[in-house]
Amino acid sequence: MNHMNENTKSVPAGLVCAPMVAALALLFTGTAQAAVPGITGTGTAGTFNLVATQGHITQPDGASIYSWGYGCAAGSSPSFVPYSTGAFCPAMQVPAPTLVVTENVPFTVTLTNKLPAAVGNTSLLFPGLTLVSVSGGVPGLLTQEAAPGGAVTYTLLATTPGTHDYLSGTQTDLQVEMGLYGAVVVRPATRPAACSAIGNDVAQRLGAGNPGVDYRLAPSAYDHAATCYDREYLTQWMELDPAIHRAAEAQIQAIASCSATPASPCPTVLDVNTGSYHPAYFLINGRSMPDNMDASYAPNYPNQPYNANPHMHPGDQVLVRIVGQGHWQHPFHEHGNHVRILARDGNLILSQTDAAKLGGRMEFNTDTTPGQAEDGIFYWSGKGLGWDIYGHTPGNAGNPACIPDANGYYTTASGASASSPNYYEWCADHNHPLETNPVGSVASGGPATLFDPLVATNGLWYNGTPYLGPQAVTRSRGPTPLPPAGALQNPPAESGIAFMWHSHNEREITTNDVFPGGMLMMMLVDPPVWYIDETL
Amino acid sequence: MLSSQLLCRGFAALILVLFTLPAGAQSFMVQCPSTTPLHPAAISNSNLAVPLTEAAEPAYQGPMVTNATVGGVALTYTLNGGAVKCQEISGGDGYMTEADGNQTFMFAFGPLSGTDLIQHGQPGTLFAADFNNYYNSPTLPSVCGPAAPASCASAGAAGITGTNITDPTYNPARATSVNGAITDPATIMTVGVMNGNIPAPLFAFDEDDEFFLTLSNVGMIMRPDLFETHTVHFHGYPNASSFYDGVPDASWAINISASATYYYLAPDAGTYFWHCHITPPEHLQMGMVGQLYVRPRQNRVPAGTSLYTASTTWYQQDLRTACLDSGNSNGTITPDILCSTPQPAINTGFTHAAGYKYAYDDGDGSTRYDIDVPVQIHGFDPNFHFVGMTFNPEGFADMKDKYFLLNGRSYPDTVTPGAIGTEDSDGRTRFSQPLPTLITLDSHGGPGGTGQRALLRIADLDVTEYQTLASLGIPMKLVGFNAKLLRDQAGNNLYVTTNSITLGGGESLDVILDSTGIAPGTYFLYTPNLDHLSNDAENFGGLMTEVVVK
Repeated sequence: MNHMNENTKSVPAGLVCAPMVAALALLFTGTAQAAVPGITGTGTAGTFNLVATQGHITQPDGASIYSWGYGCAAGSSPSFVPYSTGAFCPAMQVPAPTLVVTENVPFTVTLTNKLPAAVGNTSLLFPGLTLVSVSGGVPGLLTQEAAPGGAVTYTLLATTPGTHDYLSGTQTDLQVEMGLYGAVVVRPATRPAACSAIGNDVAQRLGAGNPGVDYRLAPSAYDHAATCYDREYLTQWMELDPAIHRAAEAQIQAIASCSATPASPCPTVLDVNTGSYHPAYFLINGRSMPDNMDASYAPNYPNQPYNANPHMHPGDQVLVRIVGQGHWQHPFHEHGNHVRILARDGNLILSQTDAAKLGGRMEFNTDTTPGQAEDGIFYWSGKGLGWDIYGHTPGNAGNPACIPDANGYYTTASGASASSPNYYEWCADHNHPLETNPVGSVASGGPATLFDPLVATNGLWYNGTPYLGPQAVTRSRGPTPLPPAGALQNPPAESGIAFMWHSHNEREITTNDVFPGGMLMMMLVDPPVWYIDETL
Repeated sequence: MLSSQLLCRGFAALILVLFTLPAGAQSFMVQCPSTTPLHPAAISNSNLAVPLTEAAEPAYQGPMVTNATVGGVALTYTLNGGAVKCQEISGGDGYMTEADGNQTFMFAFGPLSGTDLIQHGQPGTLFAADFNNYYNSPTLPSVCGPAAPASCASAGAAGITGTNITDPTYNPARATSVNGAITDPATIMTVGVMNGNIPAPLFAFDEDDEFFLTLSNVGMIMRPDLFETHTVHFHGYPNASSFYDGVPDASWAINISASATYYYLAPDAGTYFWHCHITPPEHLQMGMVGQLYVRPRQNRVPAGTSLYTASTTWYQQDLRTACLDSGNSNGTITPDILCSTPQPAINTGFTHAAGYKYAYDDGDGSTRYDIDVPVQIHGFDPNFHFVGMTFNPEGFADMKDKYFLLNGRSYPDTVTPGAIGTEDSDGRTRFSQPLPTLITLDSHGGPGGTGQRALLRIADLDVTEYQTLASLGIPMKLVGFNAKLLRDQAGNNLYVTTNSITLGGGESLDVILDSTGIAPGTYFLYTPNLDHLSNDAENFGGLMTEVVVK
């Protein structure tokens, strides 16, 4: 990865080498995707038993950072959604377990405070949800709190679908920084008739004889026909100042080991300076790049179970749930296309004159704001490129048809088989060559002369061609082991095309001064022939 | 054994042949075809001394299906007008001068075509006929010469400042061409080294154009320890190609002493921008950031055309841009949730007149304006730039901008006319800050004696923090956001009248300043992030410029 090469000038080689090796090792652990993993409560009403404890999270530079987190209380048995294979919910995780609930169905959350006594009380806030009742606990400024060793139970109701954050309501500047935050996903009460019970993409995979599984939490984001989706991802954006974590840990240890004398009594509460905030880590779902592209529930992150590694097929309507945590805004730039904003904090934005139409903006940068959640729809289809993304050539044996449906795409509506390798191709560009010169069995006559491959540097996610999918790669240059050989992030059988999704306050795509890292993930558009297994 | 060796060698040779076929004989390779399958008719320029403008674009009269034989195969293309446009840039380094006089090192892009236009604050994008009218002048561009603005030819050390470099390829038999592409490899190096500009060369073209952008990596002469590749990321392009997206992890990056050409069919109209995507926190902070806008089809409809009719019968009938949700000949359409511009809810009866310009294909004339004003917001951390000029590692977590730039300048340089030059390590002064941000509006100079309207095409490329720009005295009308018209799916305009806008890094928006009814005088655009009204230690300046209403 040529980015990696840059490090040699940014940081003394001795400092960077070990984390680089570690990062590279992680990079090569294989591809992984995940939908929006979370838990539903036990019982029909949905009861969540959370506990707040201390622990450590890890970062790709090798740092182990003392943190506090919410996890599942011992003995509680949450149900994992959308899949349970390999899923776990430890006693402490960052971010907290994603709570998956349903619109207009009350649920309860019991929080037990097992943080060190010096931390004092802790509590939960659910912005945007209705607090129906509270039991137990002790009074606090913003809400009822759990004293050390104690518990508090909140009964809540979500009156609209959508995405929200939840977080500590006690000494929030310190407790949230330390890791006490998470997300709530509220599923709509009803499925709009226009939204298929099973995602389009899943239906397509089932048709292909693959073990298609529906990884969506619901067929639509809202009770509205314009919010159907095929795939979904949740990202929580948070910075981390390691000095605050070190100070908290040191003070807790000092308090625990303090032996008081009459002349110098022991401190009993923390006094951590959060005023000189200077973050050095920039996290998506609690992890920095490249860790965030390892699988959800990967065993090497026992306290950071959630990844951020979006994959999609052409034309998939992809629901992105974006949650701002922490102190700062982050301009989240989605390469590849815009995002249509559906809603903010669970409030669907519709046209003022026609409630059947959406009113939210289209953005290529979706700002994440602390305490705010946005839902949006993204897709990538290659519409309007002007050339055939599959490198089709009429003269080739087996060149597939591309019959446009009403929208111009090749789909079941225009007679495509569910297993068509060019499902959802933009037909107006079918067979149109890109390259001036013939390459492999891709015909000549296109507008562009490509560069000499000997004078370019290739990336880890590059499939070696301008085209999408293993058949197209074979047709053009062949599945050539271009350097770097064996780019396992996008192996020949996959041959997807990659786009970077990242914070465009670019210094945040670093990990404690080392580039690359931080708030960065690679989104892959995979060819229809590549099955996107979200349990990996 | 012999035969297997032969076979092996033959195979290797075959692979070599396969992979070297598309490459030219040299690593610098500039391309700009006069015609393509989509645009089979070349557009010529009868007076090469004056580059063609968008007025030479063919009229837009809706989508037209054409048949073409490409590579011996019969294919069908949908043509919406447009033309072949080209531009060439260098990727390397250079110096600029901050408003407090601090000479600052940059990693930067510079112009290798349209050089005279760029030097005069214009877009450097050319029709193929002008691009291929290769550069021909007794002296090379970029270095400040006798014809340069006064501020560019300031005196310097050793008595050689302002001395031009003779062009060894000059052909007196050919007419002078000061904007054509520089294609000779030695000349690319001679001009490209220390050629960096802030902002990087301005790209501007029309919807439906094919844009060929050649990037030649000339290396960074001040940092010979680096082997930096560079790329171009077309930020915000809808349905972008990964191959031409400029992300080195996802595709490729061009090495030193070589060229690559990016190819895009122009996307939907709007204000985009571009930047290098190698080690973004470093290369963006160091200055590799430029502006880009795409003019709408609506500029090209014949005079007298109803814009509403153009939207409903042409624009919405092209599947690429359609936002329809009713049936067409193929069946029931699903509305594209990311379609470009819905037709307006109301027919305002607006009729196009020759010379009218619009920000978007609005169908109602509501984004008509008179003057394009590209505005790039950026920030430089002098410590990071100094460390970047030396051979030391740069820190990212401690990055703190101290200069706040509008088009690569802080106030009062933002209102200095003409290009600003900086003396380089060879004693020559090269223009590196070509773009003032002085906005002049005639309050009776618009159609029918109305006030002129300026379209501020604002992009923020700061890599550290959010910035706000406010207008003192003239309301801002926000009409576009992230290269999309602000309009809901039902066709209602969602414009916002405000006095300030806020952007994070990597964001763009469109603001119209209308001088109608504004009293003559000088008004200000400034940042209410008050600590950004400074030039490092000077408690004055920063992110501010003037709007002069006459």
